[in-house]
Amino acid sequence: MDAYLVAILTTAAVYVILAMALNIQFGLTGLMNFGVVGFYGVGAYTSGIVTETLGQPILIGMAAALAVGGIAGALVSLLSVRLSGDFLAIVTLGFAETMRLVFNNEDWLTRGPRGFLIMTRPVIDGLGREASAWFILGVFVLVAVLAFVLLNRLAGAPFGRVLRSIREDDLVPATLGKNVLAYRVQAFMLGSAVMALAGSLYAHYVQTITPDNFTTQIAVLVWMSLIVGGAGNMKGAVLGALVVTAIYEGTRFLAPLLDFLTPTQISALRFIIIGTLLIAVVRFRPEGLLPERTRRPRQAA
Amino acid sequence: MQLLINAIASAAILAPAAIGFTLIFTLFRYTNFAVGAFMTTGAFAAWGMNALGLPIWTGGIFAVLFGAALLLLSDRLVFAPLRGRSGGTLLLVSIALSVILDNVIRFAFGTQIRAFDLPLVPPLTFAGLRFTPETLWVIGISVVATLAVGALLTFTRLGRALRAVADNPSLASIRGLPVPRIEAAGILLAGALFGLSGTLVGLDLAIEPNLSLALAIPVIAAAIVGGLGSPLGAALGAVIIGLAEELTVAFLSAPYKGAVGFVVIAIVLLVRPQGLLGRIVERK
Repeated sequence: MDAYLVAILTTAAVYVILAMALNIQFGLTGLMNFGVVGFYGVGAYTSGIVTETLGQPILIGMAAALAVGGIAGALVSLLSVRLSGDFLAIVTLGFAETMRLVFNNEDWLTRGPRGFLIMTRPVIDGLGREASAWFILGVFVLVAVLAFVLLNRLAGAPFGRVLRSIREDDLVPATLGKNVLAYRVQAFMLGSAVMALAGSLYAHYVQTITPDNFTTQIAVLVWMSLIVGGAGNMKGAVLGALVVTAIYEGTRFLAPLLDFLTPTQISALRFIIIGTLLIAVVRFRPEGLLPERTRRPRQAA
Repeated sequence: MQLLINAIASAAILAPAAIGFTLIFTLFRYTNFAVGAFMTTGAFAAWGMNALGLPIWTGGIFAVLFGAALLLLSDRLVFAPLRGRSGGTLLLVSIALSVILDNVIRFAFGTQIRAFDLPLVPPLTFAGLRFTPETLWVIGISVVATLAVGALLTFTRLGRALRAVADNPSLASIRGLPVPRIEAAGILLAGALFGLSGTLVGLDLAIEPNLSLALAIPVIAAAIVGGLGSPLGAALGAVIIGLAEELTVAFLSAPYKGAVGFVVIAIVLLVRPQGLLGRIVERK
């Protein structure tokens, strides 16, 4: 039970990082990235390739994931940020699907559907099984906290305020002399780089990654985290990711009650529940659990 | 030449769904990403009838009716309460709906790959080209359906009403058109087209529960390439996507057929960012 709880918390930390990254893109800037799993997967494989194929230490792997994720984000966003919501969303979805095809077919690089084995782990040598699990959790929480502090500061800084104004009406910042395109690309790059970092952590944690780890269903979980928590609010993103992980993992406990169903049916049922909840939240509480706080100018006396 | 036939067969599968997609887009201004899931559901509806021992054409008719009913139901339950929300919100909701439908299928039918119970017939050879009877059926049905929908939109009262509502619902309402009923008719028509495309998928390929994404991207790409809002454009876009897919299979790499839709959208956006989409992009 203890080991299970540690495993859930470790996964939750990954989702927290992903939700915060999406919050930079969608929550603050209004950029609809449905290709979350594309960047997440790129980070996972980059880190795997750097540490296993090239034999570099894990920190280099994580740095490489950040860099490649950022570059991929820049390319995808340059292609499409000038477009409004839906088309960016379609392009990013297409990007994620294309990445999945690459992971699946470029065996020489990614070992294809058999899965990429990763031996390097973010632990110090000589720890026992249980201690290692706790250590990894600690590392993940540390990265998540660091990311939260940095991103939350950024969201409140002038940079973040420009992003919000672009989301509301990009004519206003453009009139004030802000380069809207540059801000959008920067926001998208930053989010994508952080998603890739999350992918890197995940890869070194599960140690075998397959293309099936990076399907759109995972992107739906991340979107659900942000929408439930409250888009635009970094604390909301964290809370949302924890709530969604709790729901997703909590539904696992339904399994013994439903033992007349096959594992496939139970897994399907969980995604039916998640999808239905997401639609319900969008309809009944679109601002999420922790709505975005905006600073209003003081009223004139 | 053989390549051209394959391309037309691919296009024939995509075209009805692309027209349905573009119809929904013009009526309600949102991207219904669940189009792939509706097609998969249609394929399973047809397969279900077929598996019960009924002939394939009854399966097809059932799929068309089922698709229409399902789209109307999902509109009433999911999309109608959200009218007026941003296109992005509706897109997110349609992706969630797509995940729900996919998993309902997975729940009901498992993950096995299915196929219609069709008699095995040797392919016909004509002037050195090989046709399977299924391919001919797929192309024939699709062409008839596309022309029928085109004629419906151009020449009938309902078609004119649909175009009027798509153009400006408040003006249409002032002119005395029963807007909600016309919208419902448009939804039924689009749903029927999704069901039809689903059946064609089943005729031409195998039916898998996780087809949705692989179907949605080329369908949406076809609609975007053809210029959103134009049914004829959607059919033309389907031909372009079909051709691009077959060229990829023939000269590049078969597994990357799935990436074609994405690349074509990317190219369209690069070459004409304001796009074949023109004025529609301006909306928030």
